Amino acid sequence: MSAASRRRNPKSGDPSGRQQRSTVQDGGGAAPPSRNALYLPLALTGLLALLSFLPRVQANDRLTWSFWGAVVVLLAWQGLLSLRLGQSGQGRSLTTVLRPQHYVQATVQLAVFAYWGWYWRPVYDFAGLLLAQLAFAYAVDMLIQWSRRENYVLGFGPFPIIFSINLFLWFRDDWFYLQFLMVGIGFLGKEFVRWHREGRRVHIFNPSAFALGLFSLVLIATGTTDLTWGREIASTLTLAPYIYSYLFVLGLVVMYLFSITLVAGTAAAVLFGGSALYSAWAGVPYFVDSDIPAAVFLGLHLLITDPSTSPRTPPGKMVFGALYGAGVFALYWILGTAGAPTFYDKLLCVPLLNLSVRGIDAFIQQVKASPVWEGLRADWVFTRPNLAHMGVWIVLFGAMSALGKTDGTHQGDRLPFWVQSCEEGRRNACDRLMQLEATYCGDASAWACNELGAAYAEGQIAPPDAELASAYFARACELRFQAACVNLLDPGDIARSDPRVLDLRLMLREAGRNLMDEPEGEIFERACGHGWSFACERTASL
Amino acid sequence: MRADGVALSETNATEKRMRWGVPVAEVALVAAVWFSLQLAGSDPGATTRRPGTDVPVPAELPGFRSDAWLLPDEPLLGFVEIPSGPFTMGSDSAEDPLAYDVERWLATQPQGIVDVPTFYIGRYEVTVAQYAAFVRETGHVVVDPTALQAPPDHPVTGVAWTDAVAYTRWLERALASSATTPSALSELLRTGWRVALPSEAQWEKAARGGDGRVYPWGDDARQDRAVFGVRGTAPVGSVACPECSYGLADMSGNVWEWTRSPYQPYPYDEADDRAGLDTEALWVMRGGAFNDTAQNIRAAGRGGADPGARRPFIGFRLVITR
Repeated sequence: MSAASRRRNPKSGDPSGRQQRSTVQDGGGAAPPSRNALYLPLALTGLLALLSFLPRVQANDRLTWSFWGAVVVLLAWQGLLSLRLGQSGQGRSLTTVLRPQHYVQATVQLAVFAYWGWYWRPVYDFAGLLLAQLAFAYAVDMLIQWSRRENYVLGFGPFPIIFSINLFLWFRDDWFYLQFLMVGIGFLGKEFVRWHREGRRVHIFNPSAFALGLFSLVLIATGTTDLTWGREIASTLTLAPYIYSYLFVLGLVVMYLFSITLVAGTAAAVLFGGSALYSAWAGVPYFVDSDIPAAVFLGLHLLITDPSTSPRTPPGKMVFGALYGAGVFALYWILGTAGAPTFYDKLLCVPLLNLSVRGIDAFIQQVKASPVWEGLRADWVFTRPNLAHMGVWIVLFGAMSALGKTDGTHQGDRLPFWVQSCEEGRRNACDRLMQLEATYCGDASAWACNELGAAYAEGQIAPPDAELASAYFARACELRFQAACVNLLDPGDIARSDPRVLDLRLMLREAGRNLMDEPEGEIFERACGHGWSFACERTASL
Repeated sequence: MRADGVALSETNATEKRMRWGVPVAEVALVAAVWFSLQLAGSDPGATTRRPGTDVPVPAELPGFRSDAWLLPDEPLLGFVEIPSGPFTMGSDSAEDPLAYDVERWLATQPQGIVDVPTFYIGRYEVTVAQYAAFVRETGHVVVDPTALQAPPDHPVTGVAWTDAVAYTRWLERALASSATTPSALSELLRTGWRVALPSEAQWEKAARGGDGRVYPWGDDARQDRAVFGVRGTAPVGSVACPECSYGLADMSGNVWEWTRSPYQPYPYDEADDRAGLDTEALWVMRGGAFNDTAQNIRAAGRGGADPGARRPFIGFRLVITR
């Protein structure tokens, strides 16, 4: 790494903040230790208490109690700390250090929230709860630090942690105390789960990925994913048009400043390659509606690129990225096979990868020491290697986009494709078809609910289950799908009919476009393009 | 000892602790979440519902059998035989000036003759107590909480067509498997008869009998024979109607009653029930409700409702049919 790039890529993780101070903007020296410093977490606790009076918080008793519970915990902690400091006559100090990797990352994450929320309103509605988490995170971070040492390094550090957590998982309002718990565990993990690496004591896990991974495991183990918005978050990123291109451009900023291109690019290349190979072998896409799910694409830019918890050498970064790609690929299959929600694929492997960093470093050292490496070494050396890596990444992404592997329509978006693939007995096609139908049924597509009911009633592509069939027929019937009502009365003679216009509006939203206000003619045209033959006939007759 | 003052042995010990600490923390977290879920009494991940043990079901209700899901204390648990035979369906506006156009059989013919095989129909509308027993046994979700808040002998309301169908399914299984079911009913169920909602024709025949009367008791509206034009439901069978066909109660008024027939234009033909599958579902309800006028409680009157509608004036009654 050149001296210039080292300046741009300061190593973080030293709790004393000694090394950072030489490489970052220091907003001022540490004030003399004083117990007055505790007014800062107190003020943040006050802010959290104030936020509990937001209409959204007040509208839900359990959410209000979650806030007040967090306030009580923080106050108790401050009280104990204040007591201890009073007894020992000690004070606490504060140093302001603004690290670019924090505020740049936070700005990029905020840009993702802004764009995504424009097309999926719950994100904007969540702003108050996000602010509350930030206040809570800063207070917890300060209290952890001041409980263990004299100085707290104030900066933008908690921003990317909170934003990163919330780009992947939120607990529903009824269970929001678990969100505070997740944030707290992220910071505790950062402080306490550490090891020695390259002569320094650093945190092992990316704090947000640690909390996300841990809670993902718990949610899967307890079958409680429905406590969170995880499923919606994973599927609504694509409501924002051209989300891949948007993330790609934002990613370039981070890549340029922090040399993470090899990690993200290699992960993307492995995923694109794996998807292409699987598709060529099985005849159906691996990830249902994309070659890389948008949330995974986001994850490979933001979740695995923390310099403190990833390898530092270029070959190490490539191995790390490749392992992430392979890990997501494998976990998607494992979770799907186990009947667990597949969107956890991008989260679960990050802590494992963080744990493997020292192994990767050692492996790279061994390889570098071997004669094979000497034989492979190129004689030419780039003066700006990161720019060269970025160039390759831009070409790769451009090629994938040109092949229709990113934004725009995708073969897996088309339900008739899955229906046909299922009929032809292609690998996993019936399971994928039912997954898609379950998603659309959840979105209130009565047609999809009726098809699911039919599948369970007939027992051909799913194990027969009369109770489940009735439940799906009832849901479709209440959504006024006549065939489903008939099926509910007589599940022994299954009735089917074509999707209604409303069903099509729900099922044709490839690339996230909202079709609710589109004219009927355009809906049928689009459906025809998706392979719905009845829609082609309707288009011709219009 | 290293430069930063941390003994290497201490470092190794810390890392060993950490290696165990992470899985232990994960197990503790799983246990904490599971425990909090138990405390909250919620199981959002479950696909099947637990029976609703907290649903209040009266231990006793005069006139109803507590050992038979609070069905009427009658030889056939409240089911009345309607013998086979033809009846006049639809309305002739020349004879019934309150008739709606949708009750006309054909443009050229005001009424039709429909032959209905024998069936059994409930004397009363399904009550709150009976529906509560179903909810308690099955854990069926009560979407509209007011459904179970009326007195136990009132007709249940706030139930969708799908809820009514679910009730019929459950009661059929319950009756077929219970030792307390009267032998005549058991025999019917054993030989292929089913508990169901009435078809539109079954309902109308039961309401107006074979003589084509406008109301179950005759051709004139009578406030002393039905619950209508009032502010709320009344206990089932609380208005005596000795003239009513087959001795049935509340066929007019009290609550609208779901049928198993989709709303189709006349002439009525049960074979049409599977036609028009590409139209938005609309199901027939009959009989009018407490808040209706005399026009809507006529035996030939037809109402249509969204099968997901849960309203305080819609309930149902049952038939046992082939």
